[in-house]
Amino acid sequence: MSVAFTPMETRLPLDPMLPQPAVIQAIQPEAAGISTFTLKFSDPAEAAAYRFQPGQFNMLYLPGFGEVAISLSSDPNEPGRLGHTIRYAGSVTRAIGRLKVGDVIGVRGPYGSAWPMEAGLGKNLVLVAGGIGLAPLRPVILAVLRERQAFQRVVLLYGARTPADLLYTAEFASWQEHGIEVHPTVDIGNESWRGLVGVVPQLFYRIRVDAKQTLVLTCGPEIMMRFVIYEALARRIAKDSIFVSMERNMKCAVGFCGHCQFGPSFICKQGPVLKFSALEPFFGREDF
Amino acid sequence: MAESLPRVSARVLLPKASFQRVFDNLQAAGFTLLGPTVRDSAIVLEEITRVEELPLGWCDEQAPGKYRLEKKRGSRYFDYGVSSHSWKQFLFPPRRKLFSIEKHASQWTIKPNENGPGRRAFIGVRPCDLNAISIQDHVFVTGEFRDPHYSHAREQIFVLAVNCSRPSSNCFCTSMKTGPRATSGFDLALTELPEHFVVEIGSEAGSEIMRDTGWQLATAFDLGRAAQVTEQAEERIDREVRTDDLPQVLYDNLEHPRWDEVATRCLSCTNCTLVCPTCFCSTVEDSCDLRATVSERTRVWDSCFTLDFSRVHGGNNRPSIRARYRQWLTHKLASWIDQFGFSGCVGCGRCITWCPVGIDLTEELQAIRTKATP
Amino acid sequence: MAEQPIYDGRFVAELSPRAQEKVFAEAEMIQDNAGTIIFRAGDHSQYPFIIKSGQVVLEISVPPKGRRSILTAGPGELFSWSALVEPRVENASARASVDTEALRVDGETLMKLCEEDSSLGFEVRRTLAKVISSRLIATRLQFLDVFQVG
Repeated sequence: MSVAFTPMETRLPLDPMLPQPAVIQAIQPEAAGISTFTLKFSDPAEAAAYRFQPGQFNMLYLPGFGEVAISLSSDPNEPGRLGHTIRYAGSVTRAIGRLKVGDVIGVRGPYGSAWPMEAGLGKNLVLVAGGIGLAPLRPVILAVLRERQAFQRVVLLYGARTPADLLYTAEFASWQEHGIEVHPTVDIGNESWRGLVGVVPQLFYRIRVDAKQTLVLTCGPEIMMRFVIYEALARRIAKDSIFVSMERNMKCAVGFCGHCQFGPSFICKQGPVLKFSALEPFFGREDF
Repeated sequence: MAESLPRVSARVLLPKASFQRVFDNLQAAGFTLLGPTVRDSAIVLEEITRVEELPLGWCDEQAPGKYRLEKKRGSRYFDYGVSSHSWKQFLFPPRRKLFSIEKHASQWTIKPNENGPGRRAFIGVRPCDLNAISIQDHVFVTGEFRDPHYSHAREQIFVLAVNCSRPSSNCFCTSMKTGPRATSGFDLALTELPEHFVVEIGSEAGSEIMRDTGWQLATAFDLGRAAQVTEQAEERIDREVRTDDLPQVLYDNLEHPRWDEVATRCLSCTNCTLVCPTCFCSTVEDSCDLRATVSERTRVWDSCFTLDFSRVHGGNNRPSIRARYRQWLTHKLASWIDQFGFSGCVGCGRCITWCPVGIDLTEELQAIRTKATP
Repeated sequence: MAEQPIYDGRFVAELSPRAQEKVFAEAEMIQDNAGTIIFRAGDHSQYPFIIKSGQVVLEISVPPKGRRSILTAGPGELFSWSALVEPRVENASARASVDTEALRVDGETLMKLCEEDSSLGFEVRRTLAKVISSRLIATRLQFLDVFQVG
């Protein structure tokens, strides 16, 4: 056989669509219909090698059901225990909701772009989250707490529909104690709620930051993020200093399936964290 | 004086009577041949073994939403344009099992699908389609992630390209700079003459396949006749598409009224994405057996025109045909350039031919380019 | 200069005759067929409009749910007050739901006028505050979802 032809028998390279089994270590209910699943890879080598950055996500797979893209919500300095805060919304997440500690989920990742931790060094960080949007920002808070002196003011503006929908409330006091300014609000209060009532973008009126020294990191419903950006721009924060975490339908997370495209960006590769200056021609455009 | 094998980049003359020898050499080397043949009133790409199975003497007539074949007398094997099939179905199959998982308690056994299709020879690849293959290579092989099945299958392909002699009226490869002559990416490239082929040797594999075919070095006269075929093909192409203002002209006109207009015609039937040789969107299907112990994940072709494509929990990001047509066109002609460094369109004209309502993307682009009336 | 149409719309009615004359000096009547999108959320807000006849629906796109109508404006009513308030960006889209005629005034010109003539400016601002305030109260009532059962 001539050497001009490629040999017939060659080993296929590893398929990026293959999941790795991981065991559920803990399930922590956070709010109605939302729990945090802490996972650990079954394969010790995989568990030891895995690293992620704040803002990235994994694809979680239940054989026979399907896959979902879930942001990592745990401490990036503790990659042995991977936290995923999941809202039971569709068939896959609801099936995950029926699992117990000790059960196995398929995991592949991490994928996507990260929050600009390095660009934020020495600056103010204003984290603006709505609802479950706080989950992908929690790793930022945990990373900041490890190196608090590396940043100036760190402010969390956070809101949910009702007090019962706020995530991680048990940690707020500790965050506050360690130098994170926490401002929670709700759209609809109740008799026992003593906190703020009002929409998240309005929380900007409670803080005053030097625009030139500030990054805004926001994650939540797109309509909320639109008004957050409006408030940030009104305070003269540069378009380059505003970072948005986008969400789109994802089937592969590796840039093959085409589903997650938003303009020229693949949310799984150039995103989910995108600079507003890059997003501006397309963001807020109807049906885009 | 005949050498046994031509050198790479040589151009040789091959008598048509010896064309079968090329097929035989390929099959002897373990290649399954895939090439054009007539079936169901169209030219399709299928497994073939003999030269007689090629569309000898057939011509096509194409227009927006129209495709007709006609048998003329003649000795031409490749005197037609491209048809609904493209080579993407062989490298990026419409359905492909990715893996299966067997679950026993907490033990998972993951079995990736490692079946490959083996050596295959693509017979009659047009320059636009050669370009399309190269574009898909950038998606699946040379990007940040690699599709193992695609790259494995791709390495096993022998490309026998054919330079076009009769482009269809929907072709515009000249505007997209993808034809009508192949310049690289092939093992052999043929230009058809009445009784011969002028063959350009593109690789050592190509050279090897010319063994005992009675080839001779092409004379200047032969090369002149081949060049004429290409010139005539270029002249036949009368569709001209301006591309110098892309991607910006589409980015600047995302609310142009033309999108509303085309949405009244587009059926969102996905034909265009099916026949397009560069479209690569896919989805995954999960299934399991009754005991839920063995499950499979399969990748299948998808289209940005389907209603489900942009469905997320709680709604849909592109619920209207207007939004989906806009997505397809701006991706193909504009965002693709930002994503990959070149256009996603190779000017093959298939989407124009196979659109049931005859939408012509070049016409849509030109209409959008024209300023909207206030 | 076109004849001055008189409405009993709140914005116009509260302005003094002198203010009315100055505000509407360069007014333009526009006509939009049913279905026309007059402006989109995010657009620069150039004109305040006062509807003469017809109806305009104000909508906000809430991805992935789609467009939600938040308010309709009818004859005599002002829409796009954001043309008179910095940063002059539309926060909702406006669509004519039926054939509509509306008077529009160039917002920038009017703002300049208000700056030059402070008593006119005060009147316009006071009237505008009343319009926005009543919208705010209406919005609060809508948000309280008072018709919800249980």
